This record gives sequence, structure tokens and C-alpha cells, in this order.
Amino acid sequence: MSRAVIKQHHSLWYRVLLGLPALLALGSSLGQDEIEREGYFEVRSASTELVGGVHTLDARLQLVLSSEALAALSSGVPLTIELQMEIIRERRFYIDDLTAELAVRYELEYRPLSQRYIVRNLNSGDQDSFATLYSALNSLGRVQDLPLLDDALLENDKRYRVRVRVLLNTQQYPAPLRLLFFWRDQWQLQSDWFEWQLQR
Amino acid sequence: MAAPTLKRAIYIILAATGVGLALVALFLLSRTAQNSDDFDRLHNVILSINIAGVFVLFMLLVGNLARLLREYRGHVPGAKLKARIVGMFVGLAVLPLLVVFYFSMQFINKGIDTWFNVEVKAGMENALRLSRSALEMQMREHLNSTQEIAQRLGNVSGRQLVFELSMLRRESGASEITIYGSNNRILATSSDRSLAGLPRPLIEEVRVQMQQDRPYVALDPEDYEIRTAVTFSVSGRGQPAGVVLAHYPVPERLARMANSVDKSYREYQQLEFLREPLKSTFSLTLTVVLMLSLLTAIYGAFVLSRRLVAPIQDLVAGTRAVAEGDFDMRLPTPTRDEIGFLISSFNDMTQRLASARREASLSQALVEAERANLEVILARLSTGVLALESDMRIRTANRASGAILNVSLENHVGESLVDLAKGHPLLDQFVDVAQVHLGAGETDWREQIVLRGEVGRRVLTCACTTLPGDEDHAAGYVIVFDDITALLQAQRDAAWGEVARRLAHEIKNPLTPIQLSAERLRRKYLDSMSEEEAQVLDRATHTIVQQVEAMKEMVNAFSDYARTPDIEIGKFSMDKLAHEVVDLYRAQESGIEIVLTSDPTMPMIEADIGRVRQILHNLIRNATEALENTDAGRIDVHVSAAEIDTVNVMLIKVEDNGPGFREASLSQVFDPYVTTKPKGTGLGLAIVKKLVEEHMGTIRAYNGKEGGAVISIRLPLNEAAREAMIAKAPGRAELRRERA
Repeated sequence: MSRAVIKQHHSLWYRVLLGLPALLALGSSLGQDEIEREGYFEVRSASTELVGGVHTLDARLQLVLSSEALAALSSGVPLTIELQMEIIRERRFYIDDLTAELAVRYELEYRPLSQRYIVRNLNSGDQDSFATLYSALNSLGRVQDLPLLDDALLENDKRYRVRVRVLLNTQQYPAPLRLLFFWRDQWQLQSDWFEWQLQR
Repeated sequence: MAAPTLKRAIYIILAATGVGLALVALFLLSRTAQNSDDFDRLHNVILSINIAGVFVLFMLLVGNLARLLREYRGHVPGAKLKARIVGMFVGLAVLPLLVVFYFSMQFINKGIDTWFNVEVKAGMENALRLSRSALEMQMREHLNSTQEIAQRLGNVSGRQLVFELSMLRRESGASEITIYGSNNRILATSSDRSLAGLPRPLIEEVRVQMQQDRPYVALDPEDYEIRTAVTFSVSGRGQPAGVVLAHYPVPERLARMANSVDKSYREYQQLEFLREPLKSTFSLTLTVVLMLSLLTAIYGAFVLSRRLVAPIQDLVAGTRAVAEGDFDMRLPTPTRDEIGFLISSFNDMTQRLASARREASLSQALVEAERANLEVILARLSTGVLALESDMRIRTANRASGAILNVSLENHVGESLVDLAKGHPLLDQFVDVAQVHLGAGETDWREQIVLRGEVGRRVLTCACTTLPGDEDHAAGYVIVFDDITALLQAQRDAAWGEVARRLAHEIKNPLTPIQLSAERLRRKYLDSMSEEEAQVLDRATHTIVQQVEAMKEMVNAFSDYARTPDIEIGKFSMDKLAHEVVDLYRAQESGIEIVLTSDPTMPMIEADIGRVRQILHNLIRNATEALENTDAGRIDVHVSAAEIDTVNVMLIKVEDNGPGFREASLSQVFDPYVTTKPKGTGLGLAIVKKLVEEHMGTIRAYNGKEGGAVISIRLPLNEAAREAMIAKAPGRAELRRERA
């Protein structure tokens, strides 16, 4: 679903650009891809649990990297995968209020010498290394007991909902790369928002 | 006027927006290409601006191009020039831009490629492999050590395990050895890091290997620590009792070098990976810049060409308007340059042309007015004016000329006078005289001409002069002539009147004493004389008295002729008057048959009844006298009303069967003392003519077809007819006035 939306969004951009010969030529040069895997991110399941007055998040993420992302990874380019969380207060007669937002960023890196993949939590600095990409992504896709929010910060009689999504963040790359990634579907890896009512 | 201004304003705003957007976009693009922090924030804005700029420019260009094409096809003045200028500017702008673009692209591609040397890449890979094999050797050695440790631990009892482990760790050089039992329970651990906390549980990777009973060896990529794990079994038992996990440090020098190789290799790989995107991005930036520059240049070419051509288009429109006769066209003078000078000169020119035309039309109107005046004057002139070309064709002729010459010359303008003269006796004689003079080369002459026509003589005074010639016309002539017949007649009549009055006065006075003297002589001496002498005296005195009586009669007649009492116009029946007069003569029984033909129903005539009666008396008496020696004399008197040439006239015709007029004196029958009769004073017809003319009528004398004299008179029936007859006979009015 999310990919379809993104794709549509970008094809619109492409259509606008079709009128411009130079960009068209550039687009054709970029379009010469081999048989490629598109890749996708998806939130399979997510839930919160109130443990000791703190809401913690458990989530299962499906992270499938695209060919270009894989190529970048194997070239030593670290990928940043960001888990975005939002807690929204529902309001009846007004637009909902964003009470809190939280992002946890993980860095996935390949070390050619040791031939291992490093997964680093950029927020905490914790890191693990894995022999295979599969196990690295698997580890990334398993979020457990992630402290989300202190329940005391929430108002008692209000209804809240939580939503999470996971995306490939390209902000840390140099400008030329980002300009290019902006036009590439394969770098637009982003899941839909996964949304549920906050149980208190 | 408002719509083009609005359109122009929109165009300018669009163009300014386009150029502004493009400049902003270029600036941002150049900035963000170097500074990545701003990139994400501004990326969409930049792109939007870029695309909007390009789009706006593109739309403007399409609009301009379409307009130019339309103008070109419609042959709008200036369109070709505009197309040429646009083509020239585009050529000038596009070619260098494309050259620069090509070389820049080449430079970017080649330049970036040169950073990535093939040999460097191979070297890097070899270094990596070398490091890896060095580390792998270490890893193999350490694995062997771990396996030895596992074997030895199989023989160690539980209590000695911790001690033995420390010993083995020191022997093997490991930094940490941990023994895990079933369920990952830590059985024993030994570490050289005193401050390190408890060992962590076995990671999944290791567990999987152990479950498959395979040794595990791995290099920690951050710490450069070799991790090894193998299963161990207690001796005698086949089942594995647990897992031995041993960490070995890599020698520091080796670790440092390996780390360096790893880092360099990764960086190189990253750069290598970046190479294509870098090229693409630079190309994209360059292309966008080129597009913007190109479109701006082309649009600039359009704007420039329009600005250059606009005054020329104005000029073309202006000259067209002038060619079509619109001199009031004023062109706006946009600049102070040569074109501005040209336009202001054009404006001066049209202004002068306009004023010249105004003056010309003014003077033309003046000439027209003069001409109209002249025509009116000529038309009203009683003098005949006839302008001729050098070949005797009529150029102009006024109405009086036609009336005098009895041909409507004004209707024959452009025709030859000589041809026209055929069949018109008066004109023929006139032309003869004129040709004699003109044939002899005389162009300025003056002559009195006597023309003989059916109604008698006509005396004209002619004056001829040359007209000034011009390029189109050779010199012509203008002949001015006056009918002075009536004038001459009037002069003659006046002279005769004077003569008659004098005669009457001078002669009448002595007549009475003569008569009285003669009678006295007779009375005194007749009785005293002898018979013979008395007879002589009687005869002589008788003759004297008789002759004096005759002279008195004659003098009275003269006196009558000279007398001109005031005319008294009244309305009366002509029929009745004619009968009265004719009956009077019938009663005289002179032996002459008088036949009156009259219409009792004819309208009443407005005239002086006394004068008309005298006319009839004179005519009938004249005829009677003429018939004295004629047997079976007969007088026919016709009286009738008729409309001749739209004029109502009374026709009076008196016809006798006598000897008629002598042909030679026919033209002078109305002059006093012209008579063919044995009796009479010769004043009868002269008086009749005078009376007729006093009524503005006409009189003619001619001989009948069967001999005998005919006098024909036309009298106007009323005042309107009198006016009409005056108009038809120029000269009469003057005469009338003169008489009045």
C-alpha cells in the first residue's frame, strides 16, 4: 500500500519532468537498471505494554532492502533505518494533537575486513555484529521493550493512539547522493503508519 | 488599450518571476550542492522553484513562438525581421552554451573518473585480502587453542574447573574464557579484564553453530578481538557438556593496521559508489543551469527582438496609413536613439503632409467657390461668353450666348463649334466671322457683327481675346458678345422720338399762321381779284391750306409716335376687343373683306387695352391702305391664345392678299418712314412695334406663301409670361428699364 502511494507520487514528479529534455535524458540514464529487487519496509505488528508506569513498545518489522541499498551497503555505505513513533491525543471537535514523537535510529554497516554486519543503535550507542545480513535485519526487525513514554505525562481522561513506521533515512548522505536518491524509488523505503489505540 | 497593457504587464510579471525564480534556484542549487545541511530543508523548494522557473520560461517561449509563427504566416510587418533576430540571438546564445555544456560534462565525467585509478583499487583489494588472511591465520590458531582447551577441560572435574580455566587462559593468551553449560548457563569464566562485568549469554549465532556441533570463530569488527567457541564433552560421555567461548585479542599493531586497511577500503568503496551519483548529480545541476540559461537567453532574444522591431512595426503601420491617405497618424517615440529620431522625423513628415493637404483642400474649396461664383455670374450675365479651345471646340459657354445665337451652346461643351454651326444660320455667320479673324492669326479683336436671321437682323458686338494656356490645354480663346439689336433699336427709336417731337414743335408752330395767312389772303383778295387771278389765288390758297392740313396730320402722327404715355395694364377679353375693332372697319364698306378668326373661350389677357386697340387699328389700317389698288382685297385677322416654349402668349396675326413687303426692305419694315404704300406716314408699323415691345411681346413681318404681307405678334398673356419673355430675350430688360 505504502509503496504504491510513493510510486504514484514519484511518477507524478517524473511526468512533470518529462517535459524537460535534459532531465528526461538524465532519467533515461538512471533508468538503466538490471533485474532489481525493489525492496520494502513494513510494520508487521506492534503493541504497547504498560510496565512500571512506562509504556514500552514491542514491534515486528519486515525490512527488505532494495538492490541499490544492498549495493550501497556492500560498498561500505552505512544505511540508517529509522523507527518513528508518535503518540497522538484524539480530539473530538478539533484536529488531533501530536503529544509526543520519538525516533530511534539504527545504523547498519558492513565491514569488508571482518565480513560482518554491524547494527548500531545511534540513540544509545549499543551495537552488535552479525555474520549475515539476514540475521542483522532480523535483529533490527525485532523491537522489544522499547521504552516509549511515561504514563504520567499523559492526561488521564483523554484517548491516545500510537503509530509507528520504519523508513530508510538518507539524510546523512552527501548532497549529490541525496539529490539522486530523491528521484529513486529504490531509496524511498518507508512503511505505512501502523496505528493502534494506546491501552492504559 | 487596457487589454494590451494588461497582457503586457502579465508578460512582464511572468518573465520577471521566471528569471527571479531561476536565479534563486541557481543560487540555492549551488549552495546546497556544497552544503548538505541545508539540502533537505531546501531540496523541495529548490526543485519546485527550478521546475516552476523552467516551466514559466517554457510556457512563455511557447507562447512567443506561437505568436511569432502566427505573425510570420499572417505576413505581419516586422515578423520576418523579428524571426531573423530571434534566430540570430538564439544561435549566438545556444552555440556557446552547448559548447560550454559539452566541455563541462566531459570535464566532470573524465575528472571524476580519473580519481578512481584501477591500480589503486586493485591495491586496496589486495591489502584487504592480505589483512584478512593474516587475521584468518590468527583465527585458525586461536580456534585450535580453544579446541585444545575444550579437550583438556573434558578431563577436569567440576571443582577444579575455575582454577584450570585460569591456567589455560593464561597459557593460551586468551583475554576471556567462559564455559557455558546446557541452557546457556555460565559454568565458569576467566578474564584478564578485572573490571569487566559478567559475560553475556551466548549469542544466537554461536548457539546455532554449537547446535550443529561446529566450531565458531569470528572477528569482532570493532574491537579486533577473535571470538572462538567449541563444544566440549566430559570424558567418557558422548554428549557435549557445554560450550567453551574464548576471546583472543589481536596483536595491537596488527589490529591497528587491519583497522586502517578496513577503513581505507570502506572509504574507497564509498567513493567508488558515489562516483556515478556524483556524476549524475553534477550533470543534472549543470543541465538545469543550462536549461534555465538557454530558456532565459531565448526568451531574452524574443523580448529583445520585440523591442527592436516594435518601432519598426509602428513605422510600417504609419507608412501604410500615410499611403492610404491618413496623415493624422502619430507614432509614439519610444527612445532617443536613431529609431526614435526616425520616428520623430516620420511624425514631422506626416504633420507637414497633413497641413499641406489641409491647405490644398482649403485653396481647392476656395477655387471651387470662385468657380461657382463665376458660373453664377456667367449664367446671369446677359452678355454671351464663349470660351473655345484652339481647335474651335467649345470649352465653356453661358446661357446668354446660347440665347443670342439661338443654339444652346452650354449643352454642347466639347463639341466643335464649326460642326455645331451647320444648320444654325446665326451661329454659322458668327463662326464665319470668328474664323476669318482667327484664321488670319488675330487673337485679340473687336467687331460689331450683323447677323441675318429669320426674325430679322441681329447686331452683336464681339470681343475676342486669348486665354492663358497651361500644360494640358493649348491657349484657347474667349469671345464675349452682346446682342445690341434692341439697344440700337432703342437708340434709334429715341432719336426718332426726339426728331418727331422737334418736328412737331418746330413745324406745327408756323403751320397755323401759314394756314391763317393763306385763308386771310384768300378772304381779302379773292373777291377783289379778277376771275382768272382769283382762280389762281383760290387754287394756291387751297393748296396751301390743304398741304398745311396734311402737314398738321403728319406732325400729329409724329407727335403720337413720340408720345409715350404710362402703360396701364388691365385684364380684358381679346376676343371682344378684336370684334369691336374689326366691326368698325367692316362698317366703312371699303370693299375689302375682313375675316376675323377668334376663340371666345380663350383666357383674358393682361395688357394696356388702349395700346392693344391701337395695335389692331394700325395693323388693319395698314393692311387696308396696302390693299387700295388690289381687287377683292381680303384681310384675315387671327387671334388665339397658345403656349409656346412654356410661355403663355396671345397670338395676333394680320394677313392681307396685297403686294406684300419688298424683300429688300423686309428687315427695316419697322423703322419709321419705311413704307411701300402710296399713302401713309411710314410710322404705322413703327408705332405697332413700339407698342408690342412695351408689352415685352415680339413682332415679325414677312410675306405669305401666296403673297401678301403677314404681321405676326406674340403678346404675353400675363405678368409671369412677361417675365419669361424678358428672360428669353436678353437686352429687353435693360430696354424696359431704360424706357421706364
